[in-house]
Amino acid sequence: MNIQSNNFPTAARKAINDPDLQSAVAFGTNLGFQKRKLAMYADGFEHGEAMRQQSAGAKRRALHKLPDLLEQAEANMQKNGMTVLWAEDADEANRLMLDIARRHHVKLVAKSKSMATEETGLNHALEANGIEVLETDLGEYIVQLGQETPSHIVVPIVHKTKAAIRDLLVSKARMPPTDDTGKMTEFARDLLRQKFLQADMGVSGGNFVIAETGSLCLVSNEGNARMVTTLPKVHVALVGIEKIVETMEDYASLTQVLPRSATGQTMTVYTHIINGPRRPTESDGPEHLYVIFLDNGRSRVYATEYAEALACIRCGACLNGCPVYQVTGGHAYGWVYPGPIGAVITPLLKGLENASPLPHASSLCGTCKQVCPVDIDIPRMLLDLRKDLAERKLDGGQWWLGLRVWSWVNSSPLRFALAGRLSSFAMRTFSMKKLPGPLKGWTAHRTIPSFARKSFRQVWMEREKKLR
Amino acid sequence: MADSREKILGRLRTARRPFGDVRQAERYLPMVPVAQSSPAELRSRFIEEAEKLSCVIHEATGQEDAYKHLFDILGDDRRVASWDQSSLPLGNFNETLQRRGIQISRPDDPDVRVGITGVDALLASTGSLVLSSGKGRYRTPSLLPLVHIAVVREAQILPNLETWVAHRRAAGLDKMRSSSNIIIISGPSRTADIAMELVRGMHGPRELHIILLSA
Repeated sequence: MNIQSNNFPTAARKAINDPDLQSAVAFGTNLGFQKRKLAMYADGFEHGEAMRQQSAGAKRRALHKLPDLLEQAEANMQKNGMTVLWAEDADEANRLMLDIARRHHVKLVAKSKSMATEETGLNHALEANGIEVLETDLGEYIVQLGQETPSHIVVPIVHKTKAAIRDLLVSKARMPPTDDTGKMTEFARDLLRQKFLQADMGVSGGNFVIAETGSLCLVSNEGNARMVTTLPKVHVALVGIEKIVETMEDYASLTQVLPRSATGQTMTVYTHIINGPRRPTESDGPEHLYVIFLDNGRSRVYATEYAEALACIRCGACLNGCPVYQVTGGHAYGWVYPGPIGAVITPLLKGLENASPLPHASSLCGTCKQVCPVDIDIPRMLLDLRKDLAERKLDGGQWWLGLRVWSWVNSSPLRFALAGRLSSFAMRTFSMKKLPGPLKGWTAHRTIPSFARKSFRQVWMEREKKLR
Repeated sequence: MADSREKILGRLRTARRPFGDVRQAERYLPMVPVAQSSPAELRSRFIEEAEKLSCVIHEATGQEDAYKHLFDILGDDRRVASWDQSSLPLGNFNETLQRRGIQISRPDDPDVRVGITGVDALLASTGSLVLSSGKGRYRTPSLLPLVHIAVVREAQILPNLETWVAHRRAAGLDKMRSSSNIIIISGPSRTADIAMELVRGMHGPRELHIILLSA
């Protein structure tokens, strides 16, 4: 998917002025936020926190052992009858997919929801080579109809009102007009059902890979992931290398915190543990199962102080809690992963120079860290990215220069006092609500508090004098 | 591509490994602390959780009762998709259905309204069914039809997922891996993609009936 994250300020402003988007996103994120709280803490606050720590430990331990676990997973998957492939980047992942499709004379691919395939732009790559691709997750199908991109990791069309969805289905899929969600769903079910049965190849992502058993694990609700991994002769899964976990016990924790954090469910309707293509004693399931381990920048992140970002299990809880995402929606972030986690991994995977507004798209309220089921310290990483931005002078050096002046002024008591007196005088005398000249950017979207006549230091010193 | 594998693993190996201080948990906390352990408590917890998910529970006192529930749900249907009778806790399944004039179709018959399966296990804490694929245990009867009927026995109820995992480990994980596909089903299929409105019955079944045999 093409990156447009540098356009965030403009895109955000557009989103803020879109009343339909505002009401839809506010509603969806608030609902998700409340449901998560209820589900995570159903057995008490301490228990919920203990489960978060246990899940955080499971992911971090897996990251610590990542290369070993990848090799272990590969060996076990091969023993299970799966073919394991490795893709350094998006282009290679798409080439591997195309190779597989050609080898098996594939004409129609049915896909279940996969953010990794959004990342690599798989659909375009296949279509450009004459292969039809059908998104089968209801939200992703509607995204495909509207030729858009998903705006949320879990609820792809959270930004759309029901009326907009209805109009899209009527105009693009020839649905008989209805406002009944049940009827809309039934229409999509019947339409997509026919395609499922015709697809030659199913493509999925992967939520977890269990290294000790070589199992590919998915979570889903609609049943399309089951269709896509059962009916076609070929199943290919694209999985980020950071999705590996060590043990079945780790998996049991994580596959239960994920739905609680994402949708407030105790389990998704379908929790899949896929151990290979169909066995000789079985008469359904794919004949060929391929797993592509995707790097696409992850191994470089692994070597930095941002490795923690690889613990993400893609639950979307941080999106639902974020005051920025709630207002801008996901498209403003300009790439595949929006919200707090997107603000971190977009610059890390695509380069800070391609996503420089994102580390600042945060009030540092810390909600994301609080709700994260694996306790990722997103605020810490946003601050570190801001530092990187300033040091690399990606904004033309404004932050770098401004911070140097700021620290120079504030590192001396005399300069600090003088600066305070000057500002106070100037602001009150000239009734300034905005800073002038090169500093005007700071106050363009902030309200300056009014200065008191006397600074705290002055008041304190006078008090000291009086007491003596 | 073997080159890519080496490059990726190479980069991971030369990096300073993060999180060296994180230790393996000595004891794993289960997500749902299912304090109840008596069979009666597990049974009522399972029913409670499954009903929360819109499953319909039919409590059966024995084989005859179970068949009565089954035929109630089937109504006027003359064809079903099903697991092989050796995997169902129902005696003389093929014969009984035949006598009733009901044909057991191909497991993946797209025109069949009802699919019948057994289960490997039931999870009380989340009202879930665990099904593993294998000989005569097809994937499609619990997936394609609008109605899925699971015929289960009370003795198959386990407290939670963690218990199931412990049992798999005790039996040897290779045995678990011999099934190509283990699916844990918690309720009929659903979606909330359209304006967060919950709709039951998306691509999978719209109804999930559980015939619960007491023995």
